[in-house]
Amino acid sequence: MLREHRINKLLIANRGEIAVRVIRTCRELGLATVAVYSEADREALHVLMADEAYPIGPPEPAASYLAIDRIVQVAKAAGADAIHPGYGFLAENPVFAEACLAAGLTFVGPPPAAMRAMSDKTAARRMATEMKVPVVPGTSSPVSDDAEAARAARDLGYPVMIKAVMGGGGKGMRLVSREADLPAALRMARAEAGAAFADGSIYIERYVAEPRHIEIQVLADAHGNVVHLGERECSIQRRHQKLIEESPSPFVDDAMRARMGKAACEVAAAAGYVNAGTVEFLVDRDRNFYFLEMNTRLQVEHPVTEMVTGLDLVREQLRIAAGERLGYRQDEVRLRGAAIECRINAEDPFAGFMPSPGTITGLRAAEGPWVRNDSGAYEGYTVPRFYDTLVAKLIVWGADRDAAIRRMARALGEYRIVGVHTTIPVLQRVLAHADFRAARLSTALLERMLPMFRPAEGRYRPVAMIAAALTAYERLGRTPAIPPSPSPGPWRLGARRGWGPPRP
Amino acid sequence: MKFAVTISDSTEMIEVSGAGGRFRVTIGEQVWDVDARLTPQGISSLLIDGSSYVADVKDEDGFFRVDVQGESYDIRVEEETRHIIRTRGRAAGGHGSQIVKAPMPGKVSHVSVRAGDTVNAGDPLLVIEAMKMENEFKARAAGTITQVRVAAGQTVNPGDVLLIIE
Repeated sequence: MLREHRINKLLIANRGEIAVRVIRTCRELGLATVAVYSEADREALHVLMADEAYPIGPPEPAASYLAIDRIVQVAKAAGADAIHPGYGFLAENPVFAEACLAAGLTFVGPPPAAMRAMSDKTAARRMATEMKVPVVPGTSSPVSDDAEAARAARDLGYPVMIKAVMGGGGKGMRLVSREADLPAALRMARAEAGAAFADGSIYIERYVAEPRHIEIQVLADAHGNVVHLGERECSIQRRHQKLIEESPSPFVDDAMRARMGKAACEVAAAAGYVNAGTVEFLVDRDRNFYFLEMNTRLQVEHPVTEMVTGLDLVREQLRIAAGERLGYRQDEVRLRGAAIECRINAEDPFAGFMPSPGTITGLRAAEGPWVRNDSGAYEGYTVPRFYDTLVAKLIVWGADRDAAIRRMARALGEYRIVGVHTTIPVLQRVLAHADFRAARLSTALLERMLPMFRPAEGRYRPVAMIAAALTAYERLGRTPAIPPSPSPGPWRLGARRGWGPPRP
Repeated sequence: MKFAVTISDSTEMIEVSGAGGRFRVTIGEQVWDVDARLTPQGISSLLIDGSSYVADVKDEDGFFRVDVQGESYDIRVEEETRHIIRTRGRAAGGHGSQIVKAPMPGKVSHVSVRAGDTVNAGDPLLVIEAMKMENEFKARAAGTITQVRVAAGQTVNPGDVLLIIE
């Protein structure tokens, strides 16, 4: 089916749940898959699932998942004809896209020129302005030194937002409410941006108070067809990292969706964009929307769009990369029901969301009707400390928003991960919160809720005490609570003891 | 067998008897019959007088973190005699000092304070880069920095003492 550029074997230049997710679609399409992995990821799920897997270097991303030459070299040696970059790492790096094309590989993403036009956020803002799409006031080019940053911030008026010029995923973003905090915030933003994107440049925007973050998914083929797939509401964030996303947005009606969709398609077309992309907007209380940036990749939260449109976005990306036409018009795109995604990160939500790497000793994922689990983990898997904390994405669909919320609450209650701390308890509390249920959303909502969340309300205190006391009792070797299973399977053994060399 | 079970600052005595997955648990005046299936994975099934609960028990440094029905408890369990010996000798020492430890492995990217500095609650102390994030540590309460044990660029492991505030 993927004829024109004939993709038969795809290398996935990524790790974790997104690599697993891409492999799944490839398998459904009959494409062979090639995984790459760092020394820290030999036991990662994408390595286990791919048809082939090759090491690309030490754990540090700069030496492995960001090593352009090495990845291209592996793709050629393995006989891959295309590369999917996932999100993060090299996904929005035009140098990588160019290196793929130069090596005769199809890059599953936009043309480098379109990526370049959008990857510099300040250039993208200038382009949107030319298209008469409103933008948040801010510097029209990167700010180089602290004095210039201070001048710009003063002109815009505090609070201001520092953003990475090459940014994405909230990395390198800092809210600054007074000039005294500016130098430290600039330093951290530059360090974070430098580590994440190999480019520490930043720019400054005026801060819009209590906005909603709403983004439009677009698909563009190489034949000039552009459609949008509706919006995603991503207002539940902490430290500018999304935690819960949903589609459709409860704030957006048909008329507003049509206006935002049209603006998004125009920005994409003006940039010569091809493939899947996302146009992000800030929306204020009066439903005014402002162009923020275009993400030239598949988004982490793409599954909610898949759930309401019925389209497999990775399949669409591969079709577009292979030169096929979209094959449907805007009026044929229908949104059905409501979908929610929760990000399950290895973080301790009751200790400032500190990263919590470690071995997952116990894991039971949520299942049941209309529940989807996009995960990179399994029981016995060790979450490495070198990469971001996303372990799994839990996605549900419901006939309407209320049904989806109830389903998500049910599914989160089923999800059990032991060994690392996760965001699940906070996700449960947000889902139960009156403001979330009533869709009174803003990007400030989660930070406001967090101080009210307690690890425990005392309702299950006796149960917890009994569980702890019995665990201690068993440890003292009085008696095993369950007799050892007569012939544990190799998977279980592996999970308990860690991985070893293959048994004969 | 008697245990002292401590949650935050309150300690209760719990008596446990039984074997083979069936236990009798006594807390104060209350007695429960518990059918418990504990797994090496840390996911336990408890049938307490017929009500079904699943509790996740994770070993932390000297205590258990128990997650049940969306609630999370940090619980210290000691044999009763050990608890009595430990608490009898306890002095007020250490009160008021904050020992800031690394909760995860990472690299110190910036240290904002020096020994002798006075800090207020919420003041930035240092930044650790881990899992692609810059994690800022702030003072929990006001005090004076007595020791700084790490420097920028240094790699730290969980439990390493970073600095001490008196």
